[in-house]
Amino acid sequence: MPQPNGVIDLQHLTKRYGRTLAVDDLSFTVLPGHVTGFLGPNGAGKSTTMRLVLGLDAPSSGAALVNGKRYASLPRPMHEVGALLDAGAMHGGRSAFNHLLCLARTNGIGPGRVSEMLERVGLAGVAQKHVGGFSLGMKQRLGIAAALLGDPGVLMFDEPVNGLDPDGVRWIRDLMRSLAAEGRTILLSSHLMSEMALTADHIVIVGRGKLIAEETVQELTTRYPSLEDAYLALTAGSLEYGASGS
Amino acid sequence: MRMAFSSEWLKLRSVASTYYALGSAALMMLFGVGWTIYVSSLAEERGSLRAAAPEEGFLPLVQISLATIGVLAITSEHATGMIRASLTAVPSRGTLLLAKAAVVGGVTFVAAHVVLLVTYVAARLIAGDRQLGFNSTGFSDDLPLLFASGVSVTVLALVGLGLGAVTRSTAAAIVSVVAMLFVLPGIATYLPQPWNSRVASLMLPNLVPQIAGDRLSSRLGDGLLSPGVAFVALISYALVALAVGFYFLWRRDA
Amino acid sequence: MSVLASEWLKIRSVRSSHLTVSISLGGILLGLGLAWMAVDMYDHATPAQKPGARLAELEEVVLMVPQLCMGVLGVLATTSEYATGFIRTSLTAVPKRWPVMAGKSVVVGVIALFTGSAVIFATYFVCRALIADRFGGLYQIPFTDKLPLLTALALTVPVFALLGVGLGSILRTASGSIVVLVGAVYVVPIIVGNLPQPWSDLLGSVMIGALPHEITRDTTTNTVYGSLLPPVAAAAVLVTYALLPLLAGTWLLCRRDV
Repeated sequence: MPQPNGVIDLQHLTKRYGRTLAVDDLSFTVLPGHVTGFLGPNGAGKSTTMRLVLGLDAPSSGAALVNGKRYASLPRPMHEVGALLDAGAMHGGRSAFNHLLCLARTNGIGPGRVSEMLERVGLAGVAQKHVGGFSLGMKQRLGIAAALLGDPGVLMFDEPVNGLDPDGVRWIRDLMRSLAAEGRTILLSSHLMSEMALTADHIVIVGRGKLIAEETVQELTTRYPSLEDAYLALTAGSLEYGASGS
Repeated sequence: MRMAFSSEWLKLRSVASTYYALGSAALMMLFGVGWTIYVSSLAEERGSLRAAAPEEGFLPLVQISLATIGVLAITSEHATGMIRASLTAVPSRGTLLLAKAAVVGGVTFVAAHVVLLVTYVAARLIAGDRQLGFNSTGFSDDLPLLFASGVSVTVLALVGLGLGAVTRSTAAAIVSVVAMLFVLPGIATYLPQPWNSRVASLMLPNLVPQIAGDRLSSRLGDGLLSPGVAFVALISYALVALAVGFYFLWRRDA
Repeated sequence: MSVLASEWLKIRSVRSSHLTVSISLGGILLGLGLAWMAVDMYDHATPAQKPGARLAELEEVVLMVPQLCMGVLGVLATTSEYATGFIRTSLTAVPKRWPVMAGKSVVVGVIALFTGSAVIFATYFVCRALIADRFGGLYQIPFTDKLPLLTALALTVPVFALLGVGLGSILRTASGSIVVLVGAVYVVPIIVGNLPQPWSDLLGSVMIGALPHEITRDTTTNTVYGSLLPPVAAAAVLVTYALLPLLAGTWLLCRRDV
């Protein structure tokens, strides 16, 4: 069952790597029931923000809370939060099924659910194949299956459309919208503005680690000719690369 | 903890490198049999001789092979980026490292003792009543050395795991294990007396004979540690490496 | 030429190269420390003990450090390209493939030659200065008499490095290659040393550690290995250690899909 009230809440979140500020006093809230697009130029701090939410990186100050708690304090986190950060991040010598089962077991999820998710992302036919031979698109699908394993109420996807074919792009769009329609919280980062305009309801734009805009797609497209124009106008001042954390 | 353990167990079973490492350690049995057949044939010609016991002579092979299991348990996750998925699934870094240590420790403990015992028994069976030197003592006399040898393999694997967590690099961690196993003891041997036996007594591979109450080598003579102290020192190697590894895993961003 | 320049840049720009070279050079400090300890011990010994005080040639003890580090440098020069997938870019840039291996070998070999020589000769001179006439004149042999052996010892370091390049390109994984390298240079000699005669001397004579003494017919130091090979044969064996895996690796690189 998806958990209701899934909320991602950033409070003055700041992350410093040496002298660079990757995330700079960032505060915003992601609410359930719709897809929130997370936009910003390369190096704006989107991936760092997601890593901070997941407790992979420790914030220099401020807090990132999921359902009001720090991620690391969740007893079975995969049932509350699912994330796809880096599609290539898997041992190439492991089969797709075993890769998922390794993650599933940590949260008491059984092999039945693993097969179900492989089916859902269209990888059931290659479940026993080594992931080293997968294309980027297949790895994205596997990463999405991993995020969905615990049937979490909060989902974060970092550039999930990268490497997908037109079929896959369409599939992601429908998946995101249906997950949101089930009452889940979806935070989705992407550089494809046309795609984002079709998928997201809310938009958060960051630049150089700072919040630039937090509005609905509708508000943005009323003020600007398109989401792309809105994005380019709003981020014009923050195009210089910030931290290296992509 | 139980769930993290079961996941780590599957991780270890589902990659080929584990089987290469186990296979390479299992070569000891093959070499041990070959060795015993060879020295037995020499004994036929010469009557009796003093040959090294195969489970002692080939021990470094088992040590370095199984130590890589410990190293790869963590460095392969860093190399592939899988560590981020693992830490997302198990946010408590202590739990993750402990689960890895339990699996690596258990697998290497069982594998090492099986390989050692099979080699031991096969060598004695082949030797029969020929006088080869190593087969003059009874099993109960040889047991402490066998056990210490097996434990040393597990300790090295755990040291590899800890160093892997510190260095995050397969090459660096394996080289560090190699340094502890071969380079440092080698250098210690050439220190001027009495420092050579003092330092050598503390070297990881030299703790094994000290636990069994044997001398270090013909060059160094007896070690300075009593069997009990040597055993504590051996276990400390693993605990210290794991503690340092945990500190780095806990403090650093993944 | 451009392949050489590219391989040089690749090696120069990664941290592991700086680390392995730095740790190798740290061998000189180790030699210094050992020599200082030896001198301290010798000077505190009673006059009766002094004639019997023994010391191993410290540059030979320290040699293990650059050998291992440069071997790892060679391994990483090839396996890191497989680990990152950069090998595909490299081979797209140089489709004939073998020049990539040749370029790598030259760059790694030269770095290892310089590093190894620096460690051997610096350690030798440090020890010569510190130990002076102690330990029965161990370091009083004229430098010109030691020069052939020191040169041969230094040459083993690039041999290790090229052995690493070769193993890396055959096995394509850092862990496997380093374990095999270590097995070949540490585990095998231990086993060979345990063999009954005549095998211990026969096989001991072809161990890398035995070759410098055989090449130079050096009698100034004791070796734990055999010493049966004539100089030319020993030199040939040393070259084989470097070239055989390298040729096998190049052949595989040219044949295999990447």
